[in-house]
Amino acid sequence: MAERGEVPEPESEPEPEPEPGPGRGAGGESGPGAGPRVWSLPALVVLSAAAMALLSATAVLLGALLLTNAPPNSLSQRYQSQLNGLVYPEFEQNWRLFAPDPLQDNINVRVRARSAAGDGGWVDLTAQDIAAIRGNPFPSHAEQNELRRAWDFYDTTHDDREMPTAGVRSSLADEYLKRIALQRLGRTSGGAPITGVELRADTVPVAPPPWTAAPRPAAAGPQSRELPWWSVSDQDYAGL
Amino acid sequence: MSSQEVSRQDTDERQEPLSGTPRRPAQAGPPAVPALAIEPPAAVPATAAVPPAQAGPPATALLPAAAGPATAARPAPAAGPPPLSAAARPGVAAQAGQAAAAAFAAFTGRPMARYQAAVVRIGFALVVLVQLLREWPGSRELYGDRSPWSLDMARRLAQQTHAFSVLEWQDGCWWFEACYALTVLAAVLMLLGWRTRFSSVAFLVGVLSVQNRGVLVGDGGDNLVHLMAIYLAFTRCAEVWSLDARRRDRGAAPGVGGVLLWGVAAGLLGWAQLTGRISWASAGGWSGPGWAALFWTLWAVAGLWWVVNRRWPAGEGRAVLDALGSMVHHCALFMVGAQVVLVYATAGLYKVQGPRWQDGTALYYPLHLDYFTPWPGLSALLGSSALLVFAFSYGTVLLQVAFPFTLVNRRLKNVLLAVMVLEHLGIAVLLGLPVFSLAMIAADAVFLPTGLLLWLDRRAGEWRPGRRPRPA
Repeated sequence: MAERGEVPEPESEPEPEPEPGPGRGAGGESGPGAGPRVWSLPALVVLSAAAMALLSATAVLLGALLLTNAPPNSLSQRYQSQLNGLVYPEFEQNWRLFAPDPLQDNINVRVRARSAAGDGGWVDLTAQDIAAIRGNPFPSHAEQNELRRAWDFYDTTHDDREMPTAGVRSSLADEYLKRIALQRLGRTSGGAPITGVELRADTVPVAPPPWTAAPRPAAAGPQSRELPWWSVSDQDYAGL
Repeated sequence: MSSQEVSRQDTDERQEPLSGTPRRPAQAGPPAVPALAIEPPAAVPATAAVPPAQAGPPATALLPAAAGPATAARPAPAAGPPPLSAAARPGVAAQAGQAAAAAFAAFTGRPMARYQAAVVRIGFALVVLVQLLREWPGSRELYGDRSPWSLDMARRLAQQTHAFSVLEWQDGCWWFEACYALTVLAAVLMLLGWRTRFSSVAFLVGVLSVQNRGVLVGDGGDNLVHLMAIYLAFTRCAEVWSLDARRRDRGAAPGVGGVLLWGVAAGLLGWAQLTGRISWASAGGWSGPGWAALFWTLWAVAGLWWVVNRRWPAGEGRAVLDALGSMVHHCALFMVGAQVVLVYATAGLYKVQGPRWQDGTALYYPLHLDYFTPWPGLSALLGSSALLVFAFSYGTVLLQVAFPFTLVNRRLKNVLLAVMVLEHLGIAVLLGLPVFSLAMIAADAVFLPTGLLLWLDRRAGEWRPGRRPRPA
């Protein structure tokens, strides 16, 4: 298809400009017919000032986006606060798609509930997502991203001993994960209201392809991470 | 688009020494000038008769000597390249001045890359529409009152991030449902290009609101949609292939629709302003103007344009406003292209550093991740071939790293573009990411060749009998 467009392009480009005077638009503004518009001095001042402002703004934004996408460097560290002010929240960039390396682990998040009837069995929340994705040409964000990213969010806002490292965000991550679990578990466990939940995440590395002997940096076996019990109140169900 | 311009100039410059045609130095001047430069030498005397005064370089001095017959101009090619370097001596200042004037004329002139802008508009409107319709049944769980990411949590995070979302303005299911439906409507209007100055801003507000409300359920595709919704609001993306263009081409009277929308916008903005939802100064780390400043400015400019257009349709004021619009369009569309380049450059250059990409097994892993294998059999089949995995892994990195650089060569760029679109289609099916892939394709579309878009335009014109005839 690119080939198709290749041939006619140079000649046909100016043709679809029949509306304005001849040459205008076709030959930029320097075409023979109408020629560039002759501006009055005030107009020229306004346009020049606007041009300068617009070009500067574009250059600043582009520079900021460049620095944000680049690895941490001397310039971006120096202007960190200005950069963040400009880029966040609406120009956020995150293009390290499957880079520097693709994700190589399947993470299974499970939950079990505690109630007056005792502790329930483990419920595989991730398996629910996968079941919904399998054979689905158009999976929902609810299945693809909600739990997966909630766990990511928790993981990045807590340390190895499950202690919060990011203030408000850490507590938001706890609450979010808990509410996702509760939404899926419902109100009761074993016939009694749920009073607490425990989550765990099992990380299973994808085995390297059979034709390579690629050594995995981490221990190649599955790893399990068990979160502390969280108490559940009616408030946690608000809106669910 | 800028790349088109860049690549076009690139080919011109290469052709110039070949044909030896003394060309007006209007480097920035788009299409027609190149067409002249490509003309065979026979045309040289004719063209040279007009611009030699400006062109200045010795090449023109040679021409009068070779003056008369067209064939006599042919030796010029041999003498072509040297004059180019010699040209540096005499008229540098004059040349630079002319180039600047031509650049200014192009920058303030008619919006460039109108077809590309329209394709990007249609593409992203479609992406948003498809996504919102797909998620509509479960939208309250994702973005609304039933979400595990409750409104209270969203507000707590927004106090830190200051992200904009009208969904956080008001509690209640009705507010969410209304905003969601209006966002769907905005996407439809954007797709059709109906009153696009209004609907593109509505689209921006809707897209940002929905995404910022559920910031943790999005992926890369949403991120791209978010950015493009912002850029598109500043482009003139409905110059072609839109209801606006159709209305303009038919010479229809302006009607009251625009005025009505303007009034509605004033009412909505006034309400948001008075209830303290939007403010003039930004609340966040960015100590600049806030959303109110942006929206009121857009609103005021729309009103001003309407008045000026009504009172002095042929006056300079109207021309100045149009020129300002073109400048904003050119900057915004440049950002669209730059954003695409940034996406590929970042994705590619970080991959280069990854051991799995280096050993050529990277693709194998996503093909074995539960979350990205809607068709496990297909994924396993592809993942079973060492050669295919290696080829696709290396090919992806090569493609992404190379793409920004191929923009200087139109032919190569178009080939890569086609390959990229195919790869995204593959990703859509294989990894189960249709919206992400569609968004990437819509973004890539900014680099589609004009010739292809014009060809499509003509084909579409042939199919529709009632359509105004297009010049062939």
